[in-house]
Amino acid sequence: MRTIIEIKDLKKRYGDGTVALKGVNLNLTKRLTTVIGRNGAGKTTMMRILSTQLMPSSGKAVVDGLDVVRDAWMLRKKLVSIPQEASPMGFLTPMEHLKTYLIARGSTMGQAAKDAENALRTLELWDARNTPADELSGGMKRKIFVAMALAANAEVVFLDEPTTGLDPLSRLEVWSAVKMLKGTVVLTTHYMEEAQELSEEIAMVDHGECIGFGTVQSLLKKFRGMVRAETGADGAKGRYTIGNTKIRYVKLRDAEHYVDEGYTIKPITLEDLFVIRGVELES
Amino acid sequence: MNLRFIGAFTWYYGINSISRGPSYVLSAMLYPLVFLFLITIFSAGKLIDFAVLGGFLSIIATNAIYGSADAAFQRIQLKIQDLFVATSLTPFDYTFGLTFSYLATALPGLLIYGIIGALLGIFSALPLLAFVGIMLLLLVAAMSIAVIITGLIKHVRNLWGVISIVSVVLTMVPPSFYPYVILPKWALYLLMISPVTPAAMLSQGLFGLEKMPLYALPVLLFETAAYFAIAMRMSGWREK
Ligand SMILES: Nc1ncnc2c1ncn2[C@@H]1O[C@H](COP(=O)(O)OP(=O)(O)OP(=O)(O)O)[C@@H](O)[C@H]1O
Ligand SMILES: [Mg+2]
Repeated sequence: MRTIIEIKDLKKRYGDGTVALKGVNLNLTKRLTTVIGRNGAGKTTMMRILSTQLMPSSGKAVVDGLDVVRDAWMLRKKLVSIPQEASPMGFLTPMEHLKTYLIARGSTMGQAAKDAENALRTLELWDARNTPADELSGGMKRKIFVAMALAANAEVVFLDEPTTGLDPLSRLEVWSAVKMLKGTVVLTTHYMEEAQELSEEIAMVDHGECIGFGTVQSLLKKFRGMVRAETGADGAKGRYTIGNTKIRYVKLRDAEHYVDEGYTIKPITLEDLFVIRGVELES
Repeated sequence: MNLRFIGAFTWYYGINSISRGPSYVLSAMLYPLVFLFLITIFSAGKLIDFAVLGGFLSIIATNAIYGSADAAFQRIQLKIQDLFVATSLTPFDYTFGLTFSYLATALPGLLIYGIIGALLGIFSALPLLAFVGIMLLLLVAAMSIAVIITGLIKHVRNLWGVISIVSVVLTMVPPSFYPYVILPKWALYLLMISPVTPAAMLSQGLFGLEKMPLYALPVLLFETAAYFAIAMRMSGWREK
């Protein structure tokens, strides 16, 4: 299997001394990989290094055969990277945003107009194409950036939290746009169902390290046959406590017993990897 | 250089935006026009030629600085600079795009100055060509300075304060609106730190307002090259 993104002992220490990546090792071979992790885990730092926006402190990263430091100029022709929390330029329209971006990537005017139209239609932004971004809703602003990624037709696409703040239907639109991307996609998200729905493999990042990598099934192997029982009741016991919520992982066949005791039963998701991880780190 | 980008961006960000928010056209004109007015009144009309030339130079320099202020805003607040970093665009394509956008909104102002200058009979054909060359050099130099300074800004809150200081120091203090010869030598040399100073000296020489200080030309060329080179290094385009 071809390695599309190779990350070796990648470290990043920001100017103020913050160590955001402590030595990440990863080999991505699948078409769509999701990076998950808690706030401040280092996801954005990693995405920015891979998309040649930020210099690494040490280590190596190779994307589609090109080194992110040495071959940045060549790599940039192949990639699209949508920053987390990017906002559009208020008085430009979605159409103008897409054309500007495509031309920046080297398109001709005519090609840019055509690709922009297709992408805007796919993301249902066509009717708003000539409305200044200031007058669009938050979700529509976000979709402008997803449309850019779609229109660019790049070989490697990095999307940092593309669906944060979107309503459920818009999120479905973005998901189908992501599925239409022809290149290799790496995206970050805080929505576990998004990671499960979209990606073939998942990388878990925590405190600047990659703490898990694989398919959903392989990552959740240790939870096989179990469910999550949680309660907010005072005095209830839980193996893990997050805020006021007590959580335990119990065998499926014991679930009924916990329901009787007032617990709510939930299926296991990727989130549970962080629940146990958080407590492991604290203790 | 991605000329297509610079053109498209100037069109969308500059020209299209005039109809969406025409205030900039007025504000770009206002500053130098007020100066023109005041200088003419205070000098009883004697310095009006200087004020017209100064108006040109200050419009060029301030708009270059405003353009970079927008670059800082887009980097810090909109977090959109990274989008362009990961393309084959250079920081200077991007800054040129922003600067020309502002210049586009300043065009009506430049036109008015052109008309006033023509009516006063300041301009003659050949010096005018050289003057355009000086303005282009000034544009690149001022833009580079602005790139250097805005690259150092970490918070949007500081942006406009810094920009105002820079634009006053760079454009109002140097002898753009008054004869360079009235400055004592040491002050003139000190003010050479702003590329507006050699640009203004050359312009005043070109149109016969003062004697031609030819040594200002290598100064302007050197400053433009030096500021440009420093800006390229310090642009903060790809974060370290
Ligand atoms: N420009 C910066 N300068 C200094 N420290 C930074 C900078 N950007 C991020 N950090 C720090 O690096 C660490 C990782 O941040 P990063 O943005 O990569 O996290 P993240 O996983 O993307 O989080 P989130 O889910 O909240 O987006 C954090 O401790 C953060 O405070
Ligand atoms: Mg992030």
